[in-house]
Amino acid sequence: MTATETLNPDPVMTVADANEAPARRGAFLAESGNLIGLAAIVLIFWVVLTSLRPGFISNFNLFTLSRSLAIDIVIGFSTMVVLATGGMNLAIGSIGVCAVMAAGFLMQGLGLPPLVAFAAALALGAALGWLNGFAIVRSGVNSFIITLASASLYLGAMLILSKAVTFNELPAAVADFGKLRFGGFVSPLLIIALAIGAALIVLFRFTALGREILAAGANPRAAELSGVPVGRVVIIAHTLSGALAGAAGLMLVARLGAAMPSIGQDWLLPSFLAPVLGGTLLSGGAVSVIGTMLGALLVTTIRSGLLVMQVGNFWLQLFLGVILLAAVMLDRYRGKVAERRSLGRR
Amino acid sequence: MRLTVEDIGKSFPGVTALDGVSFEIRPGEIHALMGENGAGKSTLIKIITGLYRPDRGRLLVDGVPADFHSPRDAIAAGISAVHQERNLIPRFTVGENILLERLPRRHGLVDYGRVHREARRFLDMIDPSIDTRTEVRRLSVAQMQIVEIAKALSLEAGVLLLDEPTASITGHEADALFAVLRRLKAEGKAIVFVSHKLEEVTAISDRVTVLRDGKVAAAGEPIASMSRGRIVSAMIGREERVAEIGERDLRDRTAVLEARGVATALGHRDIGFTLRKGEILGLYGLVGAGRTELARALIGDVRITAGEVRVNGRPVAIASVPEAIRRHRIGYISEDRKAEGLILAHPVRSNVAITVWRRIASALGLVGRGAERRIVEPLVRKLDLKTPSIEQGVGKLSGGNQQKVSIAKWLAAGVEILIIDEPTVGIDIKTKTAIHELIAEITRDGVSVLLISSDMPEMITLADRILVMRDFALVGEIENSRRYEPMSRRIMSFIHQGAEGAAENEPNGPEAAHG
Ligand SMILES: Nc1ncnc2c1ncn2[C@@H]1O[C@H](COP(=O)(O)OP(=O)(O)OP(=O)(O)O)[C@@H](O)[C@H]1O
Ligand SMILES: [Mg+2]
Repeated sequence: MTATETLNPDPVMTVADANEAPARRGAFLAESGNLIGLAAIVLIFWVVLTSLRPGFISNFNLFTLSRSLAIDIVIGFSTMVVLATGGMNLAIGSIGVCAVMAAGFLMQGLGLPPLVAFAAALALGAALGWLNGFAIVRSGVNSFIITLASASLYLGAMLILSKAVTFNELPAAVADFGKLRFGGFVSPLLIIALAIGAALIVLFRFTALGREILAAGANPRAAELSGVPVGRVVIIAHTLSGALAGAAGLMLVARLGAAMPSIGQDWLLPSFLAPVLGGTLLSGGAVSVIGTMLGALLVTTIRSGLLVMQVGNFWLQLFLGVILLAAVMLDRYRGKVAERRSLGRR
Repeated sequence: MRLTVEDIGKSFPGVTALDGVSFEIRPGEIHALMGENGAGKSTLIKIITGLYRPDRGRLLVDGVPADFHSPRDAIAAGISAVHQERNLIPRFTVGENILLERLPRRHGLVDYGRVHREARRFLDMIDPSIDTRTEVRRLSVAQMQIVEIAKALSLEAGVLLLDEPTASITGHEADALFAVLRRLKAEGKAIVFVSHKLEEVTAISDRVTVLRDGKVAAAGEPIASMSRGRIVSAMIGREERVAEIGERDLRDRTAVLEARGVATALGHRDIGFTLRKGEILGLYGLVGAGRTELARALIGDVRITAGEVRVNGRPVAIASVPEAIRRHRIGYISEDRKAEGLILAHPVRSNVAITVWRRIASALGLVGRGAERRIVEPLVRKLDLKTPSIEQGVGKLSGGNQQKVSIAKWLAAGVEILIIDEPTVGIDIKTKTAIHELIAEITRDGVSVLLISSDMPEMITLADRILVMRDFALVGEIENSRRYEPMSRRIMSFIHQGAEGAAENEPNGPEAAHG
C-alpha cells in the first residue's frame, strides 16, 4: 500500500519491533509491582511471626501451612476463573461440600476405591458448576443471584441426602496421602495446587479458550460480535470453577481424613481475598494466577499466624475482613494515582 | 471570548501528543482544527477543557491566564465541548442527559416538564425527530452524537469546541448543525471545529490550524488562502490521492448472499437483494433508515420473521453471531467501536487477533504470541496505526486509531462475506484511502462486502452497486457509474421520493444535491 509506506514521520509512534519494549515493560512492571508489594507484605508477616514465635517455621508448622495453603490457593482459583468472565460464584463452598460428601459416600458407603470416588466427586463439582453457568446464560440473570440461590439449593440438597452424617471411616490411603511430606514439610497437596496454577497460567495466557474467557469478561458484546461464543465460554468458566471447588473440597478430605458436611462454609471470604489481593479485576477481563497464589499465601499466613500467636479463632474473620477492605482501598487509591498521572494531574 | 493557547506540551508514556502548540480562537469565528489520526487534536481540546493538564505552556482566556483543574472549571469560564468519545449515561433519558448537571428543580424536586421543554429547544436545532423521553441506550450512534451536540449547545457558552461532531451523522443533520454554528458565530461566539471532512471544513470555517505529530503545521491560516491541496499537504506532507477501484464487471459472478422477502422483528419489510462474489454492494440511507439493523438481522443478532436468506445458494437460519462467523464466514464491523468493536482494556494485539485465535490455535488449543504478532503487525503497518507498541491498551489510542483496530481485526479474520458499517468514521484522509484500497483488495481476493456508509463520496468510490434504504425498506437499486454528481443526485432522489417516484425517471427535487 503506497499510502502507508510513503511516510513514517515519527519513529516513536509507528510500530516496529524495536519499539515494542517500553509499553510492554510498563505493563509488566505495573503488574509485577503489585505482586512484589504483595510478596513484601507476606514476607513482613513471616519475619515478624518468626521472630515472635520461632515455632512458626518449624517443619511441623510449615507442613501444616503448606496443606492449608494448597487448599486456599485452589479455593481462590475457583473464584478467579469466574471473576475472569465478570461474574461471581457464591456457591463454591456448597459445591465443595457436595463433592466431599459424594466422595465420602462412594468410599465408605459403596466401598469404591479412593481414586474412582475422587474422580466422580470432581465430575459432580464440574456438573454443579455447569448447572450454574447454564442457568446464568439461559436466564440472563446476574451470576450473583443465580449462585446465591444455587449455594443454598446445593447445600440443602446435600444435607437432606447425607443427613449431615460425617464419613469418618474412609480408606486409610486417603489420610495417609494427606500426611505425606516431601523434603520435610511440603505436602503433595501443595504440589497439586501449584500444578493447577501452572495449568491456569497456560489456559489464560496461551490458549484460545482462556483468551476468549477474558475477552468475554471485558466486553461481552464486542467478544460476541468477534465470534466468541460468549454463552458457552461463560458456562465453561463456571464448570471449571465447580471442578476447582470440588478439588479444594477433596484436598480437605485428604487433610482431615474424613468427609464432613461442615466443609466449605467458611470459604467465601478467602475465595475472594486471594484473587482480589492478587490483582484480579472484579469487573472481569483480567486475572493474575500468581497474584491469586500470593493472595492465598497471605490468607494462610494470617490464619496460621493468629494460631501460633494463640489469638482466638474469632479474631480471624475480623482480621481477614480488615485485610480485604484495606486491599480494595489500596487498589482504588493506586488506580486513582495512575489515572491522575496519565491525565497529567499531580 | 478570546481563547489563547501558548506553547502547550503534553506527553503520555511512549508518546509525545503535543509539542509546543500555540493556538488562538477569536470571538465570532469558526476555527477548524485538522490533522491526521493521532496528531493531537483531541488532546488539545481536552487540555482546553480541563480534562488533561498540560506538561508545559499556558492557557489564556481574554488575555488572562486560566488554570483549569476540571471540566467544571472550564464550563464555569464559559467553555463547552463535544468530545470525540461519548459521555452520555445510557439509562438516562435524552432530556436528563442534555441538562444533566443542572436539572431544573421545583420545590427541591426535578421539574421534568421543564427538563423536556428545555432539552427540546436545543435538540430541535439539529434534529426534531429525537424524543427527549427516550433512554439514550436506545438511540443509534448518530442520534447519540446529536444529543451530545445539543448538550454542548445548551450550555450557551462563549467558546464551543466540537471534536468530530459530524463523524457519524449524515449530511442532513450536519447542515442543520452548520446553520446553528453560523448563527452562534454571528452572535460573537468562538467555535473550534475538528473534522476529517475537508468539504465541511472549507464550507464552514474562517480559519484553519493544522496539527502534525503534535506540532503546528499551519497556524490559523484564513481558509480563503488555503486551497484543499495546501491543507492536505500540511496534514500529511504530500498530496491527496483517491483510491482507484476501476471498472469491474461482476454480473456473472455467483451469488454468495441473497435475501428474498425478508422481514425482521425490528420492522424491515420485504427486503430483497443479491450480493455477488467479490462485489462491494453499497447500502445507503439516512440515519435511522434501518441499515445497521438489517446488518444485525443478517448475522443472526436480530430475528428474521419472514422470507429467506441464502448463503452460497443454500437457505440458512443463523441463530447467533458466532455461528454466522464460524459456520458461514460472515463478519460484521460495527459502527459502534467502543461498545461493540473493541475491548478497550486489552492490548491492540488481542483486539486484532481475537478473530483468528481459533484458526491459529494448535491442536491443543494453544495460541502463540509469535503467531499473533505475525498476523497483527503487518496489519498495523498497512493501516499506519499509531501506537507505541501492539501491547498498548486500545483505550489509550486516538479515536481514529481505535477505528483502525476495529477494521484490522476483520481484515485478519478471513471471512468470505464482510458487512462493514461506517468503516471510515473519524479516519483521516490518508488512511481513508488506504482503507478503501484494502477493501477493494480483499474483494479482489474473493471476499464479498456489504458496505453501509453515510459518506456519499465513499459510497460512490467503493460500491459496485448501491441499494437505497428508507424506513426499513429498500427503495432503490442503482448500478454505480462512479461519477459523483449524477450518482449522488439519483441516490438522494430515491431517498426523498421513495420507490414510486424515482424508480425509473431522472433525478430532480430541490434537496437532491446535498450529501
Ligand atoms: N490517555 C492516553 N494515554 C496514552 N496515550 C494517549 C492518551 N490519549 C492520547 N494518547 C496518544 O496521544 C496521541 C494524540 O492523540 P489524540 O487523541 O489527541 O489524537 P487526535 O488528533 O485526536 O486523533 P484522531 O483523529 O484519531 O481522533 C496519540 O498517539 C494517542 O495514542
Ligand atoms: Mg481525536
